[in-house]
Amino acid sequence: MALVLSKFRDSLFRLGPLILLIYICISEFHTQFYYWAIFSFNLQFIVIYYWILRDPDILGYGFVFICGFINDVVLSLPLGTSALSYLFVSLVAAYVRNATVRTSLFTDWFTFVVAVFIGNFIYFFLMNRFADAEIEYATLFYNSLFTFILYPLFWSIFEVYKKMTFARRND
Amino acid sequence: MSTSRDDFGIVIRSALLQRGAKQKFSLFVLILLSLFIFILDNSNLKPIKVLRSLINDGVYRLSAVSSSPIKFSGASKDFFVKHIFTYQENERLRKELEDLKSKDFQTSFLEAENNKLQDVLGLEKKSPYSVINAKVILDKNSPYLNSVIINKGSNSGIKLGMPVLNEGYLAGRIVEVNFVSSRILLLNDLNSRIPVVISPSGTQAILSGAGKRQPSLEYLPDNFMLGEKDSLVFTSGKDGVLFPGIAVGKVVIDDNKKMVNLFANPDQINFVSVALKQQEDSGAR
Repeated sequence: MALVLSKFRDSLFRLGPLILLIYICISEFHTQFYYWAIFSFNLQFIVIYYWILRDPDILGYGFVFICGFINDVVLSLPLGTSALSYLFVSLVAAYVRNATVRTSLFTDWFTFVVAVFIGNFIYFFLMNRFADAEIEYATLFYNSLFTFILYPLFWSIFEVYKKMTFARRND
Repeated sequence: MSTSRDDFGIVIRSALLQRGAKQKFSLFVLILLSLFIFILDNSNLKPIKVLRSLINDGVYRLSAVSSSPIKFSGASKDFFVKHIFTYQENERLRKELEDLKSKDFQTSFLEAENNKLQDVLGLEKKSPYSVINAKVILDKNSPYLNSVIINKGSNSGIKLGMPVLNEGYLAGRIVEVNFVSSRILLLNDLNSRIPVVISPSGTQAILSGAGKRQPSLEYLPDNFMLGEKDSLVFTSGKDGVLFPGIAVGKVVIDDNKKMVNLFANPDQINFVSVALKQQEDSGAR
């Protein structure tokens, strides 16, 4: 019984990033704060990029696709917009993982710029060409900037989490 | 040079087509699938619209359930804050009540006078609009969209473009209707444009969302000067969709820009009324 419970706890621990990603896509979790007028960031990009790069077995591409799909429904965007944006972020992460041997915070952080740029470019292009919605370029820029700035903070949190998950697996 | 290009090709091909132990699909397949869904969704085919509407209803309900812990924590915080400031609020409300009592007499007098004048002029009396009350089930703002989801849809007679009120003040309009849910575009959204009139001068303008808390007034006449009493903003009904005379907010000058402080706070909308149609007063001539 204790073994089953321990296995269940381990699986739950490994599902943490996926649960977090689904939760921020489906719930009322706000990443924009009116009180700090320009402050907003894209937590989804950070979660996807980090886990596809560092441990792709934890976050599958299929789940990234589904989360994008959910995000589109919740935010009333044309279906497929966020999914494409997230999948291109995953593509950059997968490319960096295959192309580099040793990664550090700095290599991750600077390649993340490319991921944010491509992800937001896909989003902007699709919204601009196919949707009626207006986009404020300054908001998009600040969103990308804060997403980039906050990456090291979440990187550190996820590193600790990954070590805890790894330690549990080897117990 | 060609070697590095070959390397890039190999790595990108590997990233697109590779499937790990836990990866059921390759990125290439999923990107193609997303593009296919995107094209279908933009095709405006009726079966796709119905399917999207059903998906929306399902995901909104699921989203409302998963957001309950966030809502609960927000409500708990509000509960404690309200209790802490109860005494000050009570004092303020007493003063407001006294002011309102004195204004009530004036309003009753003006109402009676208005009715009398309408009788003299033979104008048709109209009651306001019939409303349907709804609860906000999801309030998720993105950096690009300020909208909320309510628990009433086409099954309750809601249609696109209908005005939505919060405590009697304009909060937004319906921009998406599903069978049992609808989406309201709030007045402060970047895509919101509402024709309004500034009282009492009667100056026409367009209330334009700026993605911030306060929308701005646009298309004002070149020689427009804000008078001492000019401050209240109402819907003008010029678009033929919104009813005229719905209170919107108060004009404030911010950095030489004419902004509107909304009466319906976009961050505090829990229950709304959707204005369905204007009903003719049975006693009207």
